[in-house]
Amino acid sequence: MDSVGKVSGRPSVELTPIPGRTTPLEKVYAFWFAGMSCDGCSISVTGASEPSVEDLLLGRIPGLPRVVLYHPVLSSEAGEDFIHNFELAAQGKLDAPYVIILEGSAVDDTLIPGEGYWVGLGARKDPDGNGSKVISVMEWIDRMAPGAAASIAIGTCATWGGIPAAVGNPTGAMGLTDYLGADYRSAFGLPVINIPGCAPVGDNFTEVIALVLQFLQGTGPLPEFDELGRPAWQFRDTVHDRCVRGGYYEEGKFAQKYGDPECLVEVGCWGPVVKCNIVERGALRHHGGCMSTGGICIGCTMPGFPDKFTPFYVAPPGSAVSAATSQTVGGMIRFLRSFTQHAADRTARWDGTEAAFSGWAPQSRPEPIYEKLIHFLYRKQQHMNSVVPGRGLEVTKFRDGYEVDNVTRKLSDEEKRKSGRLRRAERVQHEAPAGRI
Amino acid sequence: MCFKNLPIEFDAQGKASLIGGARDPYAYERKDISREDMKKLMAQNGYVRGVDFDPVTRVAGALAFHATVDLQNRKVLEAYSMATLFRGYEVILKGRDPRDAIFISSRACGVCGGVHATCAALAIEMAFGIKPPPLGIVIRNLALSMEFVWDNIMHLFMLAGPDYSEEMVKRTNPSLWDRATRAKTRHEDQHGYKTIGALMHDMNPLTGKLYLDALELTRVAREGYVTLMGKYPHPETIVPGGVSHNVTVQSFNVYRNRLMKMFDFAKKGIGIWEDITNFFYDADPAYKKVGTRPMNFADTGIWDDPFAYDGTYENCDSWGEKRWATPGVIIDGKQVTTKLQQINLGIEEFVEHSYYEEWSGHPHKTDPLGAPLSPYHPWNKETKPKPAGLNWREKYSWSTAPRWDRVAVETGTFIRMWNTVLAKKLPHRRMLDLTDNSMLIKIPAFDTPEMIAEWKIPEVWNAFERNLSRAYAIGYNAAVAYDNWLIGMDLLRKGQSEVSTPFEVPKNNRMGVGFWGAGRGWLTHHVELDKGAIVNYQIITPSTLMASPQDPWGKPGPYEEAVLETPILEEFDKPENFKGIDVLRAIRSFDPCMPCTTHLYAGDHVVTQDVNTCACGVE
Repeated sequence: MDSVGKVSGRPSVELTPIPGRTTPLEKVYAFWFAGMSCDGCSISVTGASEPSVEDLLLGRIPGLPRVVLYHPVLSSEAGEDFIHNFELAAQGKLDAPYVIILEGSAVDDTLIPGEGYWVGLGARKDPDGNGSKVISVMEWIDRMAPGAAASIAIGTCATWGGIPAAVGNPTGAMGLTDYLGADYRSAFGLPVINIPGCAPVGDNFTEVIALVLQFLQGTGPLPEFDELGRPAWQFRDTVHDRCVRGGYYEEGKFAQKYGDPECLVEVGCWGPVVKCNIVERGALRHHGGCMSTGGICIGCTMPGFPDKFTPFYVAPPGSAVSAATSQTVGGMIRFLRSFTQHAADRTARWDGTEAAFSGWAPQSRPEPIYEKLIHFLYRKQQHMNSVVPGRGLEVTKFRDGYEVDNVTRKLSDEEKRKSGRLRRAERVQHEAPAGRI
Repeated sequence: MCFKNLPIEFDAQGKASLIGGARDPYAYERKDISREDMKKLMAQNGYVRGVDFDPVTRVAGALAFHATVDLQNRKVLEAYSMATLFRGYEVILKGRDPRDAIFISSRACGVCGGVHATCAALAIEMAFGIKPPPLGIVIRNLALSMEFVWDNIMHLFMLAGPDYSEEMVKRTNPSLWDRATRAKTRHEDQHGYKTIGALMHDMNPLTGKLYLDALELTRVAREGYVTLMGKYPHPETIVPGGVSHNVTVQSFNVYRNRLMKMFDFAKKGIGIWEDITNFFYDADPAYKKVGTRPMNFADTGIWDDPFAYDGTYENCDSWGEKRWATPGVIIDGKQVTTKLQQINLGIEEFVEHSYYEEWSGHPHKTDPLGAPLSPYHPWNKETKPKPAGLNWREKYSWSTAPRWDRVAVETGTFIRMWNTVLAKKLPHRRMLDLTDNSMLIKIPAFDTPEMIAEWKIPEVWNAFERNLSRAYAIGYNAAVAYDNWLIGMDLLRKGQSEVSTPFEVPKNNRMGVGFWGAGRGWLTHHVELDKGAIVNYQIITPSTLMASPQDPWGKPGPYEEAVLETPILEEFDKPENFKGIDVLRAIRSFDPCMPCTTHLYAGDHVVTQDVNTCACGVE
């Protein structure tokens, strides 16, 4: 056995060594299938940079095998030339291991009474050579999944069924695990790897590929997957846990209309219960991310998507309690924080004076006595075990006897009200010979 | 009078009515496809071969193509375009809350989902009776012009581009490659390549510099897009009545800093595709026939004027004509209408050769303004999926056959420019201007100086002109984006920062239609609501129009038309080595995008019927 990886929810997964392999892999084949797909996952993956697709395909990542990809959108061969290697893989005749990747839902061809297909890839010549039949994508999956080093479902359609599997779906759409069965294991002993999202963050996918390849080379750990086969480090937290607007929720500040900058729960965001990393990672190179830009979370990474999150643009029912709670508690917290914030919004120089310290807005708000008191107590506590900078020192002494007199440098409140420029002008005037200025 | 085939006439005030007389004015007689002659020919002549292109790669989604080719006379005898995917989106939308339409229909297409989300929002807004505030419209325009910039770049350098690369040309036309290594370019100042060979070398898939540069640039453009829309391809901030993006000057800054990088690539791309086109024309004028078809075009226009759009069907002719892309239909090179209502009346969908059952009934005899509606119009359509085997004479595609005035029409990013030039109604002239037969596109300076690119209405129409026009469209899209950026900043300057309008879901019967554009042209979403639910939802996409199978009269769809006209110019020693590059160039020049082609169904049941009795496989 090469190594043992930990899969959450089960003790461990037994990994079968690659037959006869003694040296690191030079290449790995990847066959990309489109089921009930919109191609959005492919498009998303072309946007990835951790690593990028070209890094993987050109084999330019140190120590990793080159990925030889057969992809309907990106390949330069078409027709039979393109299909040829699918056939070789299905027959176990390739010269290197392969993985299969499904984008879009698996379908139930048995719902079709007689001949037909919901989604096809490639055509087979009739025995009489005079025509051809479209090959169902599901037939390819049947033939290639058992021999694959890994079967990877990308996007919510392939992982859980997604929109094609929504109520009313006529095609019997389902996720790859539902299609292959929970007892499915790849040739290397892995259940289906699931990278959900509609569309998924491209980096989530290429990162898993790179880490799995690293593992196959024997130079890295088997990445940890959660009980549903999701990359655990990407889907451990809810999107709300790391949301840029999460702080608003904490303080009970909620957007009331679309375009408001606050927490979006009351206008239909499901973030607090949805496992996703898009706001932390960004949609693309740390840009975007749903709530970061004002988009509500519609639960697109979750097995319950879409039916358990509709109608969209309506506050989730559970939010009535949680949002009301956070409005009450958060309102109090916000009130308390305002004291510290007022203090922190002033330089030490401005303390103790009621002067205007900015031309932008009148800010000479007198500090209420209770704020002064709280601030005094906070400072005490803040420096309970440390010194307050410069406190009590009338003179700062250096080793060679050099001294800085702190007393004469202290400004009176009246002096503080004067700008630095005015104080300098007074001095210059005072010292300048008559007639020079 | 814009219709030649539909039984509709207009009075002096432009009010439409049915031409009197006929008892069943929209009835038609179906013409069957006969393949007997073809079968005989194939049996007699070893050079007449059936060629399957399944899958057609480097197109988005599931497209297959079957052609019968005479390799001796270098002609295509038969062409069948097949959409090989069905997902049933409209079945899923039927009976749902109308608020679900935006996020669900976005998933129709993962290449440009934002257009579907927006088009759904327009349809819903019309049905709800609301409209977005100006800045909300500007944000949609900004997102969906940036989307097209990268979409066009992706097509030219990653999808169609490899057909013109060293790798491909060496394999399919060795003598052409030899010529390319010696041929001097004319636009070295724009792109830096001295010879066509060097240019083609850099277009090699995955390793060529232009391929990789373009791939990287698609990411930069998407950074700008997701700043406004949250994610790509399915946007998160489109809402009924506007957008939910919290607009700040930062959004505008981040967006502009990405847009300006597109300016330079737009200038470069025009030079590159001018050179490629000229090289092929010079090498063999027969290339002007690759992918040619009649100049029959239709487009719904896109990018609403933030101050003119009011979301109503009543005023759609007027706000439609104020768009940055004028709506319009062109038949035989002549513009027959620019009015959205007429464009809407002219569209019908047929399923004779598609895997659906025909529907019956004619619930909406007229549109909301009283003009006659065909029973085959999307508002009346009710389609029922019926999977079956392949049968060229009967059914062979999951795409339907939409026709405008019963004519097969092409659409595309360049048809927007074409319509806008012919209409001369463009109100937005800061970055664009029009002459009698051309559009002047101001592409601002970034690293390279400002350029006024002039896109002229092509004299011939073929695969090369499509690609070349698409290169100009990168500049056009970027110019529209910048114009909207300036308008948006001005709105912020005036303090008009509202981006959404409150709405309530109406409970009575409502009709709505979204006229928008996809990366590849025409896009409509037709919706009917009742009791707070969707009764019928119909989408017509550009690729449904263009990948369509034959119509009831036996006339081919646009891809099929183009392939039938394509000469076989490829060099091959024996039939087995035939790659079909000319056919593939013809198909790919349309930028096929199949995901959103094949979902157009409003059947109200899971398929339980007996299978088509003609499921005898291919003949």
